[in-house]
Amino acid sequence: MITQIDNPILEIHDLIVSYDQSPVLWNVDLSLPSGKLIGILGPNGAGKSTLIKAIMGLVTPSGGYVKIFDKTLEQVRSKISYVPQRESVDWNFPASVLDVVMMGTYGKLGLFKRPGKKEKEIALSCLDQVGMMSFVNRQISELSGGQQQRVFIARALAQEADLYLMDEPFAGVDMSTETAIFNLLKEMTAKGKTVIVVHHDIHSAMNYFDWIIMLNLHLVASGPTDEVISEELLRKTYGGKLNLLTKVTDLIKQKDFNPLKN
Amino acid sequence: MMTFDQNAFLIIFTASLIAISCGLLGVFMMLRKMSMTGDAISHAVLPGIVIGFFISGSQRGLEVIIGAGILGILATLVIDWLRKKARVQLDASIGITFTLLFAIGIILINLLAYKVDLDQECVLYGEIAYLPIDLWISDSGFNFGPRITYLAILNVTLVGAFITLLFKELTLTSFDENFSTVMGLPSKGVNLALMSMVSYTTVSSFEAVGAILVVALLVVPPSTAFLWTKKLMPLIKLTCGLGIFIAISGYYLAYIVDSSIAGMMVAVSGILFLLSVLIKGKKPNFTWELPWRKSRLALEDKQL
Amino acid sequence: MEDFLYFFTFQDSSIAFVVIGITLLGLGSAYVGTYSFLDKKALLGDAISHAVLPGICLGFILAGEKNPIYIVSGAFLSGALATFLTSWIRSNTKLSEDAIIASILSIFFGFGVVLLTVIQKSGNPEMAGLNQFIFGNAIAILEEDLYIYGGLAVLIIITLTLFQKEFSMLVFNPDFGRAVGYPMGLIRLIFNVLMILAVVIGIQAIGVVLMAALLITPGAAARFWTDRLHKLLIIAGLFSVISGIIGTYISFVLPQMPTGPWVVVCLSLLALISFLFAPKKGVLSRTIARQSYLKKTNRDHLLKALHHGLENGKKYLSIEEIYESFPYQISKIKQSIDDLIKSGLITKNQKLIILTDEGKSEAKRIVRLHRLWELYLNEYMNIAPDHVHDTAEKLEHILTPEVEALLEKRLNFPKLDPHQENIPRDYDDL
Repeated sequence: MITQIDNPILEIHDLIVSYDQSPVLWNVDLSLPSGKLIGILGPNGAGKSTLIKAIMGLVTPSGGYVKIFDKTLEQVRSKISYVPQRESVDWNFPASVLDVVMMGTYGKLGLFKRPGKKEKEIALSCLDQVGMMSFVNRQISELSGGQQQRVFIARALAQEADLYLMDEPFAGVDMSTETAIFNLLKEMTAKGKTVIVVHHDIHSAMNYFDWIIMLNLHLVASGPTDEVISEELLRKTYGGKLNLLTKVTDLIKQKDFNPLKN
Repeated sequence: MMTFDQNAFLIIFTASLIAISCGLLGVFMMLRKMSMTGDAISHAVLPGIVIGFFISGSQRGLEVIIGAGILGILATLVIDWLRKKARVQLDASIGITFTLLFAIGIILINLLAYKVDLDQECVLYGEIAYLPIDLWISDSGFNFGPRITYLAILNVTLVGAFITLLFKELTLTSFDENFSTVMGLPSKGVNLALMSMVSYTTVSSFEAVGAILVVALLVVPPSTAFLWTKKLMPLIKLTCGLGIFIAISGYYLAYIVDSSIAGMMVAVSGILFLLSVLIKGKKPNFTWELPWRKSRLALEDKQL
Repeated sequence: MEDFLYFFTFQDSSIAFVVIGITLLGLGSAYVGTYSFLDKKALLGDAISHAVLPGICLGFILAGEKNPIYIVSGAFLSGALATFLTSWIRSNTKLSEDAIIASILSIFFGFGVVLLTVIQKSGNPEMAGLNQFIFGNAIAILEEDLYIYGGLAVLIIITLTLFQKEFSMLVFNPDFGRAVGYPMGLIRLIFNVLMILAVVIGIQAIGVVLMAALLITPGAAARFWTDRLHKLLIIAGLFSVISGIIGTYISFVLPQMPTGPWVVVCLSLLALISFLFAPKKGVLSRTIARQSYLKKTNRDHLLKALHHGLENGKKYLSIEEIYESFPYQISKIKQSIDDLIKSGLITKNQKLIILTDEGKSEAKRIVRLHRLWELYLNEYMNIAPDHVHDTAEKLEHILTPEVEALLEKRLNFPKLDPHQENIPRDYDDL
């Protein structure tokens, strides 16, 4: 059940991505509409984070390509924003909430330039949008999980992009933060932004997202939520790994090099 | 008795500058969790120093810095090759590379002893006490003053400029490298630049404080400062302040105890560090627990 | 040459002692170090080596001479203090592991240097021997030293051997060990003690700064030759002993050279040889494996081309036709043709290439694997027919008969692939 779009904001063509010599994503082929809130679902190890990282250029695919706004990543970096997983940084780092959010403006500044008044205003406005204004000068080591997540999102907002990729922004976050974040994402899509979110919970996914991608080492489904949430597709996604795929992956791992690479 | 004299001032001034250069770079090494790499680089540059000395004869100059710079980059490349192509684990790659390079350096010092007047101990812990005698005299006979002081001034200026110009890049890549790559910032380039600055600073400072003790100045003041503040600018300022204090007390204590100035500087930094842990640590009074009763604590299996 | 004979025939008993000493030292360090390496805590050994220096100096100061008992005790206490402080700082502050280790390393070393210069200035003639602790001087190992250091080395080797199970659990699976009731904290403590002892005796030969090499390099090198723990330890020990003896020999022949650096150079050379030439894991072996795999893929592609010819009614292909199908790869084609003729899968008749019966069977097999995999990608992974070819092209060379059987069963012995092409079976006749 894969719906393709004409004039997609994001096009993934025949993407094969390997991690540590073995393939994690097989021939993913999809296109996504703009202005929608899109969720990526799948079991642990299904390749969800890997897909995001491949789109962002953090991992190099073994085959296939990604096109954003019908261009390559290099051409449109300033229009893309990234919210990594919360555990990917050390929150003991000596920085204040404002410092971290201002980092979102660095991309547009260029080398050697210092952030100034304009950048600070952008950062403050983004903090306001996520409801963290009272924490402006707080050290990030003193924040709760939900607050950290909001700071990361504010940082992404400060990039002032059109496409947002978020890796598990709802993980380990309390109910009120989750609702607040969701409402914010909805506002963003209402303004025409596209937001792609890696998510872990099927039930909330059904209520949050306009469009859902389901992964299980390969693309199981991609389409509008009501068309994609079906028992059969959920079973294909969460019902365990394809046995043959696992065997072939083992064969590939035994070789010291990746036969799928060119 | 100790009186203020020009020599003392020069030595303390130079030592402070070195401490500041190392401290500034060390803050970022610590934040990137690369303190041990800093240790490795300061060992690895030794052959470069020796070859530089050898080529330049008795004139210690640019060749030494260039030699060390090349070695610093070489070490980084070798570690990278071991990790990626040979598939050796990271800590072993670092350990094997720097010990090999340092060993080659020591062998070279011995082999080339007839032309290179370095000696092993000097390389290890330097001798800043000789600083006032080692003068930079130009061809026309004008006495500029102690050579090492000028090197230190140049070093701290370049380090200062580096940190200032690339401040936001250094901060961002230290906090969240993936995010900075995605934004298009040259993360790998920033890293390489930092490693190069550390190599350069090591070499520039080794005559005064020794290659090994540069590590102490790279690592200990920032760690100490980190116990007192969690804000970046105060962290940097405190590190520099500690550096100056260490230089001053190191000098006078070495005079009293009659030992190497550099060694005393490290000893002072150590005392400050341990005191800070005592004062600022979670539990100011430690309790001695028998190892087999610690089964409840999750930290246990991470113990040494 | 006479030096060589003199050295290795142990005519001088002091040399014999040195060699025995180095052997025991090397074994002890290699054993402890290998466990440390497997624990991914290799640089900890580096920290401990630097940290024992003040203890050595204190021992010397108290004894007034190079008394091994004082020195070992001093070094041990110093090392233990460093280890304890590292633990303590880790549990009481938010400093990262590497910062703590690097700090302790340099602070203790600094204290050591202070004490060393104090000793130097005191003018004690015994002090000359102390320098060997920084750079190593195996030749200076005396008979009385040997009993203590040798004894400790034997202690380390015996403990590690007797309790191999416990220590492997510490390194590979501490949670499991704890769950089944092993006293992991105690085992960890004993391991630390052994490590400190190994360092204390090792630095005689190799010096404080380079000691890390004696711990890390043998294990890292041995790792490339085997996956089994006991073989790993033996090979690591062997590398260590060989390097130790060669280093000592060089020290003997060139007395102004310290031993340490030469041992390290030798170890690193052995390591480099291991990294490059070890079977299976070495860089060279992997390159050869990759080349032979690429050659196989070339041969497979040629067989497939011949098979496609057959499907289109051509009983044979001329060499020109083959060159045209694979432009820019003429030398590779020539190689493939030669290999295939040798294995009896094709024959060459003037300018024509023909599949033998065996060749036909093998060609069918490869084409079958290709098309089966395409079908699998298409049916089970929703991949469009025009996207399955590339992946199948790459994987057809590694799919085993077992996987083939599974594919057949899963796909229900299909007749056609996603491009409506026939899936060839052995009983088909072309």
